[in-house]
Amino acid sequence: MVAKSSGGIRLAGEALAEENREQFASLLVAVAENQDRAAFSELFAYYAPRVKSYLMRLGSDGAQAEEIAQDVMVTVWRKASLFDRRQASVSTWIFRIARNRRIDVFRRTKKPELDPEETMLLPSGVDAPDAGVDAMETETRVRAAMKELPEEQRQLLKLSFYEGLSHSEIAEKLNVPLGTVKSRIRLAFRRMKADLHEE
Amino acid sequence: MGHLSRVEMMKIKFGQLMDEAASAALASGRVGPELGLFVDSLMQMRGMSDLPGEAVAGAALECEEPTELSPHALDMAFAAIERGAQPTTSRSLRYHELSGLPAGLVDAIATAEHSGGWKRATRGVSQLRLDLSGRSRTELIRIEAGAAVPPHSHKGQELSLCLVGGYSDGTAAYGPGDVSIADPSVRHQPKADDDGPCFVLSVTDAPLNFSILDWLQWSTR
Repeated sequence: MVAKSSGGIRLAGEALAEENREQFASLLVAVAENQDRAAFSELFAYYAPRVKSYLMRLGSDGAQAEEIAQDVMVTVWRKASLFDRRQASVSTWIFRIARNRRIDVFRRTKKPELDPEETMLLPSGVDAPDAGVDAMETETRVRAAMKELPEEQRQLLKLSFYEGLSHSEIAEKLNVPLGTVKSRIRLAFRRMKADLHEE
Repeated sequence: MGHLSRVEMMKIKFGQLMDEAASAALASGRVGPELGLFVDSLMQMRGMSDLPGEAVAGAALECEEPTELSPHALDMAFAAIERGAQPTTSRSLRYHELSGLPAGLVDAIATAEHSGGWKRATRGVSQLRLDLSGRSRTELIRIEAGAAVPPHSHKGQELSLCLVGGYSDGTAAYGPGDVSIADPSVRHQPKADDDGPCFVLSVTDAPLNFSILDWLQWSTR
């Protein structure tokens, strides 16, 4: 169903175009409504290898990552009816499944506790609620805003929001002072949210 | 948790979005499964959104360099699908009132009903343990109209989210989307309103993790 199942959307390092996100959403709806195996196969071809990369990035070896990635995709099939395309993109939805599955698997070996020092941060008090902003629009704008960020800030956002490192772990990893990490992440995320709120 | 020690039990008010550290902790899963589900549910019930944080992660997944799976991976997935259970739907829930709850919660409830199921706790009160594989205890509590949970306290802090119906605990009244946080020392006795059963999501005994709730409490200070 997705016209370009190779080529454009397989490009590593680039987020999906809005059109492709819509197509993937339709595929997942087809899985939910018709148990459409062809649609599932297309989703599998795109997402399973990326979920595997995500898991390896977070410390799984290849075999374990493959096993969990498959498991995540089986869950995608089973829970497809819970997907609501008005609430999030397929990528965000599958990321949640992969994230939760990873927590299940690693809970004994990893320390999922929050860094105590993270708790010292207070909410900014300047953000406006996102209510009313359409989810797909948010997904689109987040991608556009991330593209605009300097590479350094984009990397910080990924380490924090995607890989789940604490600010101090990031500081250690990048050998940058903690205060700098905090202020840059704050800047990047707010810049992104500011983009979200301007028309 | 400095400011909590001054308040034994409180009904939490909302109005602020969380800061970037809290948002990242939730989006990435760093916060842990129970509190993740709890906060996710309450935000959805209140029409609050932290989609930007999760969308950053979703976009990052798209940007991953794909790692090839074995040639038979897809076949194996189909085989697992055929071996396994039927697709999850909210229709299969025991209490139809719960089917309109946020999807993640419905899913956890369906899974729990399939494994442990509802257990009677005391007259008019039953509970469903959600196995989220984290360190805290997470359960759904159903209180029949007019019934009360016997006075109790907890080892750790207790965080409650009213899902359906209403209850009061002597301090305040709670309806869908209302949250309370209680210190371990507090003995309280939630009593359901008279007009129908009440369902509450409760997370207990997760000492460190609750610090993420600082962002929730900000607006009460």
